[in-house]
Amino acid sequence: MTRSRRARPGLRPVLVALLAVLGLASCAVRPPAPVPPAESHIVIFHINDTHAKIDAFAKIAAILDAERKTGSEVFFFSAGDIFTGDPVVDRFDPPGRPIVKILERLGLDLLTLGNHEFDYGPDALKDLLARFRTVSANIEAPAGVLPGLEPSAVLKTRDGLRMVVFGLIQVEPGNGLPSAHPDKLRGLQFSEPLARAAGLKRLRDDGEILIGLTHIGYQQDLALARQWPEIDVIVGGHSHTRVDPAENVEGVLVAQAGSDNRFLGRIDLHLRNGRIVGKEGVLIDLARTTAEDAGIKALVAEYQRSPALARIVARAPFEIGGKEALGSLMSDAIRWAHGLDVAFQNNGGIRLNRLPQAITLKDVYTLEPFGNPVVRFDMTPAEIRSLVQSSFERNNAIDLQVSGLSYEVRTDTEKRVREIRLRLPDGSPLAEDRTYSVGLSSYIGSSYTFSHKDPGRSLQTTVADALLGYLESGADLGVYTRDLVRALAERAPGAPRN
Amino acid sequence: MKIKIDGKTVEIFAGARIMDVVRRYSRAAWKQVRTNEKKVYDAYGHEVALDGELGGGEELFIKACPPEETRP
Repeated sequence: MTRSRRARPGLRPVLVALLAVLGLASCAVRPPAPVPPAESHIVIFHINDTHAKIDAFAKIAAILDAERKTGSEVFFFSAGDIFTGDPVVDRFDPPGRPIVKILERLGLDLLTLGNHEFDYGPDALKDLLARFRTVSANIEAPAGVLPGLEPSAVLKTRDGLRMVVFGLIQVEPGNGLPSAHPDKLRGLQFSEPLARAAGLKRLRDDGEILIGLTHIGYQQDLALARQWPEIDVIVGGHSHTRVDPAENVEGVLVAQAGSDNRFLGRIDLHLRNGRIVGKEGVLIDLARTTAEDAGIKALVAEYQRSPALARIVARAPFEIGGKEALGSLMSDAIRWAHGLDVAFQNNGGIRLNRLPQAITLKDVYTLEPFGNPVVRFDMTPAEIRSLVQSSFERNNAIDLQVSGLSYEVRTDTEKRVREIRLRLPDGSPLAEDRTYSVGLSSYIGSSYTFSHKDPGRSLQTTVADALLGYLESGADLGVYTRDLVRALAERAPGAPRN
Repeated sequence: MKIKIDGKTVEIFAGARIMDVVRRYSRAAWKQVRTNEKKVYDAYGHEVALDGELGGGEELFIKACPPEETRP
């Protein structure tokens, strides 16, 4: 057990009690806290970065239930990013509903918003806020945009102890926004989390227990602990860090439970006369637990059987098969979704041999099962050539399917690259003195070697998202024939494939 | 953004995840991590998931997996 190093005025509970007896406390702005119990034990279970993975909730429910039955004071928190990462939840109608309903059944007490809570759009976010008490102190929203979102909340224990919990969300140093598609963040303002925390210090006086429920990453949690050692516990998320046991940093217990519901965090707080005298945190490995709540298990199974994935998202005039046709479809989708000049799709990332005429949601996620985000680079033609060359040299063969231009690789008799010609759809060469916006999957962006002055940035939506949007937009799928090269040559110069 | 991995600074696109940094760092390391032969740890010795998000400036290490833990 870790002893709290935070110095607290030992006489304070006695003084408060004395003031109450004398009837003087009525002068105070806040009502006095009741006389704290001699001994208290609080258990906080926590999850973070669940990313729509619902399978383990039956086990979590059983653990929560077992602890509640012991009579313990139990709380259940989420440190953000419950959304995005599994098509069963992501593509449910409405999106996110399965995990929201399950968390309701489990009695989630408090949530902080992660950057992926914005992914499903405003309706899903409002629904989330309506169902769960939610804290985040560094988000400012116009009235009615994020109804119910609070900077902090006070949760009371049965003994009358006040647990003050504030929330924080990460922002990127470059743009000051959380890592989400900017369109999803319109109208919202975010402040740098540690700077915002510096303005929250009055919260220490609002309760006996002060907790940061954060989605800023472990490194930032450590900085927060050092900056504000009067915090009792930080329950964090975002960096998917497995912190086991929880770390004591400057007297602050810093916890995080990995990701994807592989672990359930458990924090035990021991209080005497309203003062924390001990605190510890561990992770419960859910792969090693067996007890399951039958009701939640049945609910999860029901969602897993959801017909959502069988939904037909587009109809093609024929089956679309072969790397060229499927890769062209995927690269067209990336370019279309983000308004880019050029997009590439590597052959290895095409995981289906053919799409049926009636294309289902499941087909989309089978074709691109990796969840790779699209990354944008602004590249000169010379840089694009270096990418094409690198891709060709991986296997001495054409590896990248492309949208927005065509390319030709000329080699010598030993397959060494001698020349790469790039042409726009109208047959003209690219302008050597300008840059083109190029979309790649994060896999290409990270594992292919190519020169690029622009460091690039994730567009925070996946290739599968782009593909789904493109298919649902009613794109003409008749161009993705087996003989795609001839089809491209025959279409009007400059005409987009869609 | 810049991430240090096994002492080497890797420059990677903004919004990259840990798996992107490992792939950029070394194909061989990526293979070891993908097959669970090794795991990725942060500067404080904590395991981080491959889809973990980064903000820039972090330090990562690739190490052999520890023996199975026995926590019930």
